[in-house]
Amino acid sequence: MSRPRSLQLIRPSAEAAPPSGNAERSLLVRSAQDGDVRAFAALVDMYYARCLRFALHMLSNRSDAEEAVQDTFVRVYRALPSYVEQESFEPWLFRILANRCRSAGSRERRRAEFVEFGEVPERASEHRHDDAIAWREEIALALATLPAEQREAFLLRHVEDLSYDDMSVATGAGVSALKMRVKRACDALRSWLTEERNERRD
Amino acid sequence: MNDETDETITRIAAALRQLPPVDPTHKARVLVAVAAERERAREARMRAARRWRLAGSMGVAAAAAIVLFVWRTDVRAGKPAAQATVQSATASAPTSASASNPAASATTRLAAGNAAAVAPLPVQLVLRAPAAHRVSVVGDFNGWDTHANTLNRDPASGLWSGTVALRPGRHVYAFIVDDSIWMRDPRMPQSRDADFGRPGSVLLVGQP
Repeated sequence: MSRPRSLQLIRPSAEAAPPSGNAERSLLVRSAQDGDVRAFAALVDMYYARCLRFALHMLSNRSDAEEAVQDTFVRVYRALPSYVEQESFEPWLFRILANRCRSAGSRERRRAEFVEFGEVPERASEHRHDDAIAWREEIALALATLPAEQREAFLLRHVEDLSYDDMSVATGAGVSALKMRVKRACDALRSWLTEERNERRD
Repeated sequence: MNDETDETITRIAAALRQLPPVDPTHKARVLVAVAAERERAREARMRAARRWRLAGSMGVAAAAAIVLFVWRTDVRAGKPAAQATVQSATASAPTSASASNPAASATTRLAAGNAAAVAPLPVQLVLRAPAAHRVSVVGDFNGWDTHANTLNRDPASGLWSGTVALRPGRHVYAFIVDDSIWMRDPRMPQSRDADFGRPGSVLLVGQP
């Protein structure tokens, strides 16, 4: 054995670019199904940030969101043999993630029932660093007021850019129901933010 | 019904689309968890295969015992026709039965030899990482579990070391430094089948 060398830091691979195309993604999924672990790692690189974004918006807690994302990728890996290519990968991935967020969300709600005075979210106006941050905080608060189903539908449609058919795969709900949820979410967000603005103006 | 996408909704969506900062530590942990899942699945498959093999062997042994029992009963009852039938049908049974004792003893010797050959051997793993706060080793022998084998630090030398019990054969492993940095053992050959794109080292146990 040669003499030990000093610590070499080997960081995980750099952030992958967002999915560049269906063909590349299909190739990666097929390779991962054939047992190519590098292809699976590339899929993780490709979708990690988007999955984390969705989980953060759904759960509003970083450690819960990270746990949900980790569990999602483990479940995806486990379920890869049953994945058929006729399905689109993204809705399939988001179906697993959304299920995981839903169960984490119900655990969180049960836990919250026992907290008499939990952490009350601070109003955006109390911590306004600048307009952009204040706007994001307002949106986060507004989003948190939505029922989970509406929040999920709004995020899948307007943030993840899924079609209604893909959303139906991801959520198991019908297209009409999803359109209704998105509409109600839009109305609620618009009204919440308008009232918030008016209150501040007063 | 349309989405009623107006300026407000567009602005909301734009703010929400911003990707969160990614903690590379956590992303590395995701891949470790997936590697552990793969190892668990592989072990489950191997256990199932062993159970099937065992069930198959027991089935053959039970069938042989039944045939032998029927044959002996017929011999005692003095049924030459039945004896002839059974003998022709199980021509190899008496041969294997007569050879069963030496074969069994040979099998026992072989099993004893195999048991000695597959007994785990203590192997010390060492990494020089003076600045690290925690070092653990993950590999095919511990299901890529970052908590299974944590190394101990020698403050004077900055060396982290630990002993793991490994069965003879080829093992692939890596070190996890501070729960986030996946690195191979710089003293050992690099594995060609690097796990999830992360580097690993190869260790041959029980070979000179």
